[in-house]
Amino acid sequence: MTARVLSHRGLPEGLGRPLIGLGLLLALAALGSLLLGAGEVTPARALAVLAGGGDDEARFVVGSLRLPRTLVGAAVGLALGVAGALLQAVSRNPLAEPGLLGVSAGAAFAVALALWLGASAATLRVAVAQLGALAGCLCVLGVARLRGLGNDPVRLVLAGAAFSALLAALTSLLLLFDQRAADEIRFWVIGSLSGRRLEDLLAVLPSLALALTITVLVARPLAALALGERVASGLGHRPGRVRGLVVLAVALLVGAATAIAGPIAFVGLVVPFAARALAGPDIRRTLWLCLPLGPLMVITADIVSRLLVAPSELSLGVLTALCGAPVLVAVVRARRLPTL
Amino acid sequence: MSPSALPRRPFAGLVLLLGLATGQSALATTVKTAHGPVEVGDDPQRVVTLYEGALDAALASGVVPLGAVTTRGGDGVAGYIDDYLAAHHPDAALAIVGVVREINLEAVLAQRPDLILAPPQLADEQYALLSRIAPTVVPLSQGLDPQAWKAESRLYGQALGREAQMETALAEVESRAHELAAALDEAEVSGDASLVRWMPQGPLVMSDQLFTTGLMQAAGLTINDAGLIPGESAHSDPLSLENLGRVDSDWLFLATLNADGQEALEAARTSPAFARLEAVANDRVVAVDGQLWTSASGPLAAQAVLDDIEAALLPR
Amino acid sequence: MLLSSVDTACRRAETSSEVGVPPGRWRLARGGHSLLIDKRDLVVTLLLLLGLLAASAAYLALGSVTLGPGELLAGLIGGGDPMAVFLVQELRLPRLVAAWLTGAAFAVAGCLMQTLARNRLATPGIIGIDNGATAFAVASVVGLGVSLAPPAMALAGAATAAALTFGLASGGDTRGYRFIVAGIGVGAVFGAVTQLLLARVAIDTANAAYPWTVGTLNARSGQAVTVLAIGLAVGLPLALALARSLNLMRFSDAVASGLGVMLRRRRWQVLSLSVLLTGLAVAVAGPVGLVGLVGPEIARSLASRRGVPILASALAGALVMVLADLAGRLLLAPIELPVGIVTAIVGGPWLLWILLRPAAKSLA
Repeated sequence: MTARVLSHRGLPEGLGRPLIGLGLLLALAALGSLLLGAGEVTPARALAVLAGGGDDEARFVVGSLRLPRTLVGAAVGLALGVAGALLQAVSRNPLAEPGLLGVSAGAAFAVALALWLGASAATLRVAVAQLGALAGCLCVLGVARLRGLGNDPVRLVLAGAAFSALLAALTSLLLLFDQRAADEIRFWVIGSLSGRRLEDLLAVLPSLALALTITVLVARPLAALALGERVASGLGHRPGRVRGLVVLAVALLVGAATAIAGPIAFVGLVVPFAARALAGPDIRRTLWLCLPLGPLMVITADIVSRLLVAPSELSLGVLTALCGAPVLVAVVRARRLPTL
Repeated sequence: MSPSALPRRPFAGLVLLLGLATGQSALATTVKTAHGPVEVGDDPQRVVTLYEGALDAALASGVVPLGAVTTRGGDGVAGYIDDYLAAHHPDAALAIVGVVREINLEAVLAQRPDLILAPPQLADEQYALLSRIAPTVVPLSQGLDPQAWKAESRLYGQALGREAQMETALAEVESRAHELAAALDEAEVSGDASLVRWMPQGPLVMSDQLFTTGLMQAAGLTINDAGLIPGESAHSDPLSLENLGRVDSDWLFLATLNADGQEALEAARTSPAFARLEAVANDRVVAVDGQLWTSASGPLAAQAVLDDIEAALLPR
Repeated sequence: MLLSSVDTACRRAETSSEVGVPPGRWRLARGGHSLLIDKRDLVVTLLLLLGLLAASAAYLALGSVTLGPGELLAGLIGGGDPMAVFLVQELRLPRLVAAWLTGAAFAVAGCLMQTLARNRLATPGIIGIDNGATAFAVASVVGLGVSLAPPAMALAGAATAAALTFGLASGGDTRGYRFIVAGIGVGAVFGAVTQLLLARVAIDTANAAYPWTVGTLNARSGQAVTVLAIGLAVGLPLALALARSLNLMRFSDAVASGLGVMLRRRRWQVLSLSVLLTGLAVAVAGPVGLVGLVGPEIARSLASRRGVPILASALAGALVMVLADLAGRLLLAPIELPVGIVTAIVGGPWLLWILLRPAAKSLA
């Protein structure tokens, strides 16, 4: 949908080739995600299903398990990648990442609170995590806006780290009193795509759609904003309103992703980083590349998480943290912290 | 327990305090603990238990402790213990001396115990202090072993000077399990069984080396853990839903830390992979209380677990 | 510490009348050396010391069992009720000493790093050095075939996290920004590892690892406390010596190098000392990182603006730790709240206040 709306304004120059290339890679990853798994359904059996045949077991595994998680993974990657790009553009901070800013901690705290109040992780409503992520996001960005931290990349990240520490402590407090929650949240705090159903995806689809619509609307003003407030005002945009909309979109995107998959760290950092490396700093170009890059990263990481410790599965959140941290270091090791 | 000034009883209990117990060796028995041989008084009166298994063992051998730690997920002792106390010792007042995660040493001291029964996982630093308050009995950690609770119970029984009562309690569990096994056979409901905890990303398959799975085996069931348990772990990593078929046994026991296992069952039913299982189709899924099934141990807990199995597999 | 302050106070009369001393300060002369002492700093130090003593007395007296002044005194000297003696000498006093030392170490470490980065949030706890310690300690508790005791592993973890961070941040800017961001990245990875470890073990084992994930002073390792005491005995004078250079570094880099401070070397010295003190303290109490934030905050709000309040931070940190642990023991008795949770509840709102305060007041 986004692609179609954006295309009315025309694809930015020189993006055709990278987009086609990334699209092909994404298709390959999605195919891999359908064919590979921790179970006994081999790629050959799965292929037979895709060809329209296959046995009962294979049809179930491919259709009811692997397909949903591939779609959920694509949605999560898309949401986190776009959210990261938006957040970095609006804060002019290459380090602004939902996880680093305490949004995941906000979601985890909300979940712990809900568990403490009597829900169980198995029955947890998606809305709880989404609300928590939303509150966390608004909190950190509100602080950042109040303090005008945008000019100092490290300060914003520090504020996020401090905020995460606070929420983590509150979560521990709840867990001290409630061993049942403690036992369940051990599994929730590491994000995963396993066992997610299409219904979960449908539940967050409205917020995703709303956020992407906002993204389409603010892309151009946001790019103007990068040239400075005066330029943006001169072009007829209202900087305050643009920022507000971006924050709302980010909160919706991150909330949706966290609600269906749990906290997945660093996707919002790595994807825009790669997109900028390919397409340069203009947000309109970056956003285009984030569309295939986000799903590509999450789906690939998910495939790896299934294969490494089969017949069990590793957690996706741990894998993304492991591949994201080096990118974080690469960003700071760049000669000087670039301001966007 | 409210903060209060020290009760003024200069001698009661204090003879044993501060390692003065050595002067009493004529009256003492020696038990073998994880921290070497420990001398305990002949007939301990003021017992504090810091472990659910120890509380269970003490009650089973007829001793009501003064203090105990809370069970997981509650601010008091486990439900089955409460039931037992209400039935057998309605006047008993158990002081809470902390949670499993944080033992309150001062509250233990305030009870002026003459015997402390501690968990196998007690930290060395805790032992160093506790053992100076009163003889502290820490069972040797045997790793995972479905029979380990019996050795622990015997040790606690010995420390309490109630070996005979403990043997009786253990024998009762054994004969009860035999009877149940025979009854299950007769009703032709025996077979293989899996004990799992349901998590949204997949079930945790519990090892066949646990207290509860051991009892299930004693009742004649064969435990199917799908060969998934790595090394000494109590449960598997979340099993991939693609492999759920591996735990498709005759009986599927579903534990949760909710007092109400039914909720976990409802949650699991929403998963298509779960709904495909034979055990689910045959309505052979048993929802059990995780507080009892994954946290407790001891002769009383064993009876309660066997009760659960009987109620589920032999409905009247 | 106490003696030197009193000593200084005694010299006040002799020195304050001399000429050439800036207002608000006393000159302290001994032999050929002389030292300017800030009046306000001196008063603040004495007040904090007094507060710490009062809090410590309350700490020894209050708890699940409450002791009157007479009983407390008898317990301290070793007479009277053996139970009171045991309570005071074996349970409360060692724990009090651990609270003093860890509080002071966290706060001094925090003060050093904050001053270097010119940011109140830049403390070892916030940037994730603690996470390394936690991950290693948890690995030791859940038994990953490691024979080292958890405190030693915690120290090793803090050292590993710090070494990684130093390595990744090499050749950075003078404020240590690169160090901070690299630290947050390293911390995030260790955090993920901890969560993975906790998710893979049974709940009983996860429980045994719990103190290392929140920070507690309940029954801590005596050896670790001794090592921390030695570290603090060496580190505190070093920190005081570094404070002067740090004070110059509070000006812009250009001014500071004009003043002849060897920026690069100082930066590494300050960061190393900060990380070392944090590591030693974490080995005792686990991650109680917020003390590193709150202690220096109190010290700064009280002390004069001229210097880097190392001593006041140490005292304030110790005070916070003592009060927090006392509150943790009393609030929900007989259940004890780990000190890390109390400091988080107190430090959390404080943190928000710092974040929300107008930018003009920030540390720059």
